[in-house]
Formats: sequence, structure tokens, C-alpha cells
Amino acid sequence: MEKTNFEFLKQIVEALIFASDVPLSAEQIKRYIGEITVSEVKKAVETLNIEYSQTNRAFHIIRVAGGFQMVTRETYAQWIKKLFQKRIKSKLSPAALETLSVIAFKQPVPKSTIEAVRGVNCDGVVRTLLERKLITISGRSKGPGRALLYRTTKEFLRYFGINDIFDLPKPREIEELLKDEKNLPKDAVE
Amino acid sequence: MTVAENLNLGKKEGYQVKLPNFEGPLDLLLYLIKKEEIDIYDIPIAIITRQYLEYIELMRELDLEVAGEFILMAATLIRIKVKMLLPGNTEEEEIEEDPRAELVRQILEYKRFKEVAESLTDRETEQRRLFPRSYFEWEKKYEKKEVVLKDATMFDLLTAFKYALDHIPKTTVHKIGPTGPTIENQIQFLLKLLEKKDHICFRELISELKERITIVVTFVAILELIRTHRILVQQVSIFGEIWISRKAA
Repeated sequence: MEKTNFEFLKQIVEALIFASDVPLSAEQIKRYIGEITVSEVKKAVETLNIEYSQTNRAFHIIRVAGGFQMVTRETYAQWIKKLFQKRIKSKLSPAALETLSVIAFKQPVPKSTIEAVRGVNCDGVVRTLLERKLITISGRSKGPGRALLYRTTKEFLRYFGINDIFDLPKPREIEELLKDEKNLPKDAVE
Repeated sequence: MTVAENLNLGKKEGYQVKLPNFEGPLDLLLYLIKKEEIDIYDIPIAIITRQYLEYIELMRELDLEVAGEFILMAATLIRIKVKMLLPGNTEEEEIEEDPRAELVRQILEYKRFKEVAESLTDRETEQRRLFPRSYFEWEKKYEKKEVVLKDATMFDLLTAFKYALDHIPKTTVHKIGPTGPTIENQIQFLLKLLEKKDHICFRELISELKERITIVVTFVAILELIRTHRILVQQVSIFGEIWISRKAA
């Protein structure tokens, strides 16, 4: 591809990502532009980011929830926080985070499983997570009672700045947790 | 050391309430195990039970609501303790499982996810410092709605339904023709209405329907749509208008 042509495509990519309020995937961008390949989209984003840092822009493009999104750099958080004072949602409670962890690694999962792991009733926290669109109902279990099954959403990935669910740090295996208990012989497991 | 001392709750000089916030009985047990440097393979059940009960007592003294789960765990601990005191039937069942095994497994399983939750907290903090582009106009409208609307319960719906039934105009209409609407028809009718409008007012919707049977069938259609998560029913205030809106798939 000619240089000038790429230059223009790069600007279209920039315009799309700039205008979008949700992360745009390379495939989506390809669909909108037409005459561009996925790898060219990625190359365009890469080039844009280089330009942004060379010219000291206050923002850049990140990969999140399987797409590209333009965000301000961390340095400016303290001022933007003031601007958004009323719009910023509260942080998630430890209960919400625990519940999300269980759902993220066991999904699709019924509430009873979450409650078995956490040892507490999870009605309220599940409702909060549904309201914040961090989880969604993905169907019903086949077992008795046909319990609702929950899974995490794209918003979950976006909220935590994760590109793909597999990028999440996995829970350690129980054997590994047991190794923390230094003063004990290993054969005592089980 | 008692739990109270552990938590720096000097009772004599008044309450310095600084209870660590436990997410549940497993969280509390995990805390006690760590605090007492207890060996998780060989939990001294008597000590841990005593500490656990002391903590619950403390919650009571502080007028905190002790959730049922905490009480249930107390019962489990006591049961394990009793089991361990009873002489096992060594002759027949030599490989009897340690009564604590299930509890240990539960605590460790909980610990796994608690760790993940901690790493999610870090990500959350990091991510909250990055601001993406967004449409503010839309958000403003959305925020306003979020503040005033509360979820309507089944009883609110029933109250509104009864109100609607009580207020059907008394004129009797004799109509000969095909049988009335079916639930499936009314579902389609509602979904079509929701394509045109963001919200439908329940009272207005019902008041436009003439026959009792149509109202009943429409009501059943609404229940069906709620059950299959296709619509959202919200109420602004107690006894207020009930709004029906489409639920994003």
C-alpha cells in the first residue's frame, strides 16, 4: 500500500476510535472502512500511539474488551476526576469483587455456586452487578429448579481494563495455597 | 489473646469501633487462622470455635446485625468439635475422613477467589484513572432515570392490575366475532409498542383496553415478558406509575 493512502486510512481509524464511546474491535473498523485489513488497522493504531507519545498528547489508544479505545493518560486523572465528580460511579465493594471473581472463573454459574464459595447470601450483590451491567443472565441450568446462570459481560472487561477474559490472573490452585503454609510437611495434604 | 484484644476493642475506654469488615464466616475464619498463625491442616477446632464465637458476641454487642450465615458456621464448628471428641469407630472404619476436611476445603476455595478479588481491586483502581471518551448527553438522561426509578415488585404490579380492573368503564360491549387476543398476540403487541416508545405507562396501556379478557391476557403477557427478561418494569414511587421498558438483550 502506498504511504499516502495508509496515512489517510490511519486518520479514518483515528476518527472512528475518537468518535466511539465503546471499544471498537479491529474487525469492526475493517467493516466500516472496507478497504483495510485487520493487521493494517492494528498497524494504524500502533502508529497513532507512537505519534501521540512523540507529540506528548494527553491521551492514547488502549486495547480493552477486545477492542480499541481512546483514553486519557493516568497523569491527568486528578483533574478529570474533578470534572466528572458527579458522574463517577462508586468503586465496587469487596463483596461485589469476590462475586465477580467467582463468576469470571466458573461461568456460566448459578447463584448457589457463588454462595457456596463465598459462604454468604449473594442476592443483593448479584442484583448490583446486574444493574451495573458487569454480569448478565446467560440462561438457565438444566438441573432441578432450572436456576438462572450468570456470566460476565463486555462491560466487565472494559471496567477492569482487560482485553480478553483469559488475560485475567487465574486463581491459584489449592495445592499452591497450601505451600504458603511453610511450617508443614507436604504429605499432610488431604 | 481474645478476639476483642486482637481487634483493639478496648471495652473499658469506650468503643473504638474498628471492626475489620468480614465478607462472611469464611472470611472471618481465614482472618482468625492467619492472625493466630494456625496450621490449616490441623486447625485447633476448640480454639478457633471459641474465637469465632467471641467475634459473633462482639458483633452483637456492637449492635451489628449478625447474618444467619455466621450463626450457621458457628453450628458447623461446634458440630466438628463434637465429632472430634467422639471416639471414632476405629475397628470398622479406619480411614474415616477428618471432620475438618470439608471445612478446610471450603476455606481454601474461598481464599482462591478472595485473592482474585484482590487483584481485580488493583485493576479497578488502575482503570479508574483512565477516562475513555463518552457521550455526556446520553449519560445525563440515563443518570436522572437511575435515581428516581425503583424496581417495581410483583405486589405493585398486582395493585396496579387490580386498580385497572376496578376502573374499566361499566359499559357492556356485546361483540360477536373471533375469540379474544391470545397471550402470544399481546406479547407481539407489547413488543411492537416498545419499538415505537421507550416507555409505556402501565395505567395508560390498560385504560386503552376495553375488555376484561384483553386486560387479563395483556397482564399475563407482561408477566411472561418479565419472566423471559425481555422487558423491565419500574416504578417511580410507591403507588406511583409503573413504567414498562424494553430490556437490552
